[in-house]
Amino acid sequence: MIDFIQMLINGVAVGSSYALLGIAMVIIYKTSEVPNFAQGEMALISTYVAYMLLEQYQFPSYMAFPLSLVFAVVLGCVLEFTVLRRAKAPSVLGMIIITIGLEMILMGLVSWKFGAEQKSMPFPISPYDSVMFGDFFVSTLEILTLVVALCAMIVLFLFFRYSRLGMAMKATQQNPVAARIMGIRTRRILMATWGISSLVGASAGLLISPVIMQPYMMWDPMLKGFAAAVMGGMTSLPGAVFGAYLLGIIENLFGGYISIEFKSVVAFVVIVLMLCIRPSGLFARHYVKKV
Amino acid sequence: MKRNGLVLLLSGVIVLLGLVSGVTAEEGVTDTEIHIGQWGPQTGPAAAWGSVARGTDAYFKMINERGGIHGRKLIHHMFDDAYNPAKTKAGVKELQEGVGIFAWVGGVGTAPGLAVRDYLMERGVPWVGPSAGSRHWIDPPYKYLFAVYPLYEIEAKTLCRYAVANMGKKKIAIIYQNDDYGKNGLMGAKEELARSGLELVAEVPVNLTDGDLKPHVMKLKKSEAEVVLLWTTVKHALMTVGISKAMRFTPQFMSTSTCSDFPLMMHISKGAWEGVIAASFGELPDSDYPLMRTYKQEAFDQYAAKDERWGVFYSAGIVWAEPLVEAIRRCGPDLTRERLVQELEGLRDFKGISGNISYYPFDPNDPGCRQGQREVFLVQCLAGGKAKQLTDWATIE
Amino acid sequence: MDMKRDYYEDVQLCTSGVVVFWLVALLIGLAAFPFLASSYTLYMANFLAINVIVVIGLNILVGYAGQVSLGHAGFFAIGAYGTVILMSEAQLPFFAALVLAALIAAAFGFLLGLPALRLEGPYLAIATLGFGLTITQIIGRIELFGGRQGLHTPDLIIGPWHLESDRDFYFLLIPITVLLAIAARNLTKTKIGRALIAIRDAEIAAETLGVNIMGYKTLAFAISAFYAGIGGGLFAFVLRFIEPEIFTLLMSIMFLAMVVVGGLGSIMGSITGACLLGWLDLQLRNILEIPYLGTWLEALSQEWFSITGVSNIQLIVFGTIMVLIMLFEPLGLFGFWIRAKKYWKTWPF
Repeated sequence: MIDFIQMLINGVAVGSSYALLGIAMVIIYKTSEVPNFAQGEMALISTYVAYMLLEQYQFPSYMAFPLSLVFAVVLGCVLEFTVLRRAKAPSVLGMIIITIGLEMILMGLVSWKFGAEQKSMPFPISPYDSVMFGDFFVSTLEILTLVVALCAMIVLFLFFRYSRLGMAMKATQQNPVAARIMGIRTRRILMATWGISSLVGASAGLLISPVIMQPYMMWDPMLKGFAAAVMGGMTSLPGAVFGAYLLGIIENLFGGYISIEFKSVVAFVVIVLMLCIRPSGLFARHYVKKV
Repeated sequence: MKRNGLVLLLSGVIVLLGLVSGVTAEEGVTDTEIHIGQWGPQTGPAAAWGSVARGTDAYFKMINERGGIHGRKLIHHMFDDAYNPAKTKAGVKELQEGVGIFAWVGGVGTAPGLAVRDYLMERGVPWVGPSAGSRHWIDPPYKYLFAVYPLYEIEAKTLCRYAVANMGKKKIAIIYQNDDYGKNGLMGAKEELARSGLELVAEVPVNLTDGDLKPHVMKLKKSEAEVVLLWTTVKHALMTVGISKAMRFTPQFMSTSTCSDFPLMMHISKGAWEGVIAASFGELPDSDYPLMRTYKQEAFDQYAAKDERWGVFYSAGIVWAEPLVEAIRRCGPDLTRERLVQELEGLRDFKGISGNISYYPFDPNDPGCRQGQREVFLVQCLAGGKAKQLTDWATIE
Repeated sequence: MDMKRDYYEDVQLCTSGVVVFWLVALLIGLAAFPFLASSYTLYMANFLAINVIVVIGLNILVGYAGQVSLGHAGFFAIGAYGTVILMSEAQLPFFAALVLAALIAAAFGFLLGLPALRLEGPYLAIATLGFGLTITQIIGRIELFGGRQGLHTPDLIIGPWHLESDRDFYFLLIPITVLLAIAARNLTKTKIGRALIAIRDAEIAAETLGVNIMGYKTLAFAISAFYAGIGGGLFAFVLRFIEPEIFTLLMSIMFLAMVVVGGLGSIMGSITGACLLGWLDLQLRNILEIPYLGTWLEALSQEWFSITGVSNIQLIVFGTIMVLIMLFEPLGLFGFWIRAKKYWKTWPF
């Protein structure tokens, strides 16, 4: 029983970083229907910017981390403005390929600048400290990740529901033409979503970096985040978070009780099975085309 | 008409080139140059191993600076294969057939190596020091393939023997990468423990792409192991040790030579690596071993890029090339591949910066004749990335 | 568009004498190529031919049926392992093993097509991606398949013909590739192709016209899996060694990128896309050897980046080419071709 609960805790802990990336993907998908494969690498480059500020320019961490988050926002906006907006008559598949191309470019830049060797991120919280609740362990870094993920979800949820910009984003997603007619600058809105999404992704990157920091560190979390978002329905923020935790828990229980070898793929099998029952994910209403 | 002229001209050039290259005695050797090839991942997930090839490069530059070998300079052709066997094969073919390579050295990875092994062996091109301790190189042995890296199982056996005999531990577990590398380590550990009537208390496989190792560490913790062998990549070894620390699980960790770069490991683990015991197949880069000092000053300090690090992978690049260079030197001015093989087979207890290297005349039934280096020693990581030597060079058959 | 008078004109292979001429010229060129090129170039050509086979098959699924797949490395792996195992364990001759393995891949494609009936967009992408990852895990688990240690392929002997050199493989591969390309072209011009296009463009309208949606969608999956299986079987022999880690997600992504960059719904596009990206993938490692550019890049690295990571320029160049093609021409290379053709047809007006 102790094991079981510990596995649940571990599942939630690992789910938090999936959740952040899942949220980031959902934000972009909501407004442009593009699964952004460059999400992980956008976070990667922001994380390395934080590293560079700390190590090379000796910034104190209370400045370096906010600055890298600002950089993330700018990066998201710039990518949208200079690349994606320029696409002529884009198809969804074409946009996916563009994001894959961006992924390669960003990955190449980071590896070119910093090399492939592991780096050590000077993070204020050690990833190896843990808090004990009775018999159970949670590392402090994971608690922080959990808090950040939940905060991000709640803030963004409220933002989309109540703020003017959030409403405009929703309008853009539901009917771009009508939104334009109503005076919403849909392109600017799109740019803002890329900025926000990049910010959320970068926070995930920063929280992963104390444990592991090398150019390929975001690939696995990004895929899992994507899977979690799909599980939750791809357009729902709480859905992505719920999907992420479910995924983390399934992985840990499966790894603990059934087979550790297949742990990394069980998530996808579960998703295929789940999608057979609910083709549009757990939280999204299935969209039936009417003629 | 004009086109015909061009074709004629081209074919003339080709024939001429053929004649020129036909003058030399052996492919890849001229009066002033010896062409040596090497592959290594500079991009992709395995790019951290890229420094192996760069280490060899600096070593060759050092030799050339000293006047080369019998008046010939070593020309090093290295290329990036991104750890993708299809690319390894493409690059090897291109260099072998385009430039004409005399011999290949190093070459990171089991899978890339296996993709080109048959090609090189069929052509009779010598290949010295594959950068992986796999059984595939020597079992069955090949006439032109000379392994330097001690088998992973030897490392595993040495570590297990030390844990049982010197430390008196009984409960030993392993976390191993789910491929040739990890499985060889697993096999070695099992065999060694069986000798003293023990069994592994846990065998936990980890896939190369796994991002979360908590379930793995929980398995290890549940087995109440006193010693945990880490047969993984640097990244996963680091995560295992880190998560164990967070879970207050403190066995004695033991790792392969892959993670024996203590200054690096201490740095990236923020000190968690302290106390880990590792096997090593070469003198440590920061040791006071005289030859190592020389390499550091004359190869690394002179030729390495400013962002390069003098670490285990980098010096491993020198380890693989040492026997090849020594054998070429012994060949004298009359350098052919057959002669090279003879001289390599004549190496007995050759000592560079790795353990003693000996090869024996080719015997298709004896894998040992092509396994040059069998010795490892154990070191323990101390504060500040310093290393304490626990055992002397030794081998286990 | 020229006027067409009967159905036959639509399905015939060559629409005019000019096309016949170029087709014959191409075939002669392909046949003469091995006598001019080096063994390395032939290896590369073989490698590209395999890419072409897989990409043509994937294009039937993506370009014609409008589905997406990020799991084709899985079918590729099934084809590779199936062929090798059927030859070494069941002692089947090469062609029988190859076709049988491809049929097994097709069966898996059919199975994967079933859930795909209800899925689209990112949902389908994740489902197929999961398939690709799972297959390699399962193969790695089975000892008969060499487990994680990989498998060496047996010698390839077809009747009296012992294939050893790259030239031999070329003569095996190119006819298969040409045949499969023609087969795909014919397929797209016939009832099946029309049905697939109808499903892609308007699923409900197609259904009301009596197109069997379920049948054709799963058929598209099966056909493209068959092509990937054939490609995999041939790949095993060109590389002569396979292990599960070769068939990564990156490979699946690469196949998809080749289809889209080449041009959706065009066989010629698939061929050029597979050749361009495949060639870049193999050849970009030499980017630093290019005179002037190489030294300039190294100086740039010295100044701003790092010398140890300089090879990663490959990724940047590759990504940039992909992005640029897609930015300027949503139809990919095929779109450029159409535009160029139109431009010259009407020149100088």
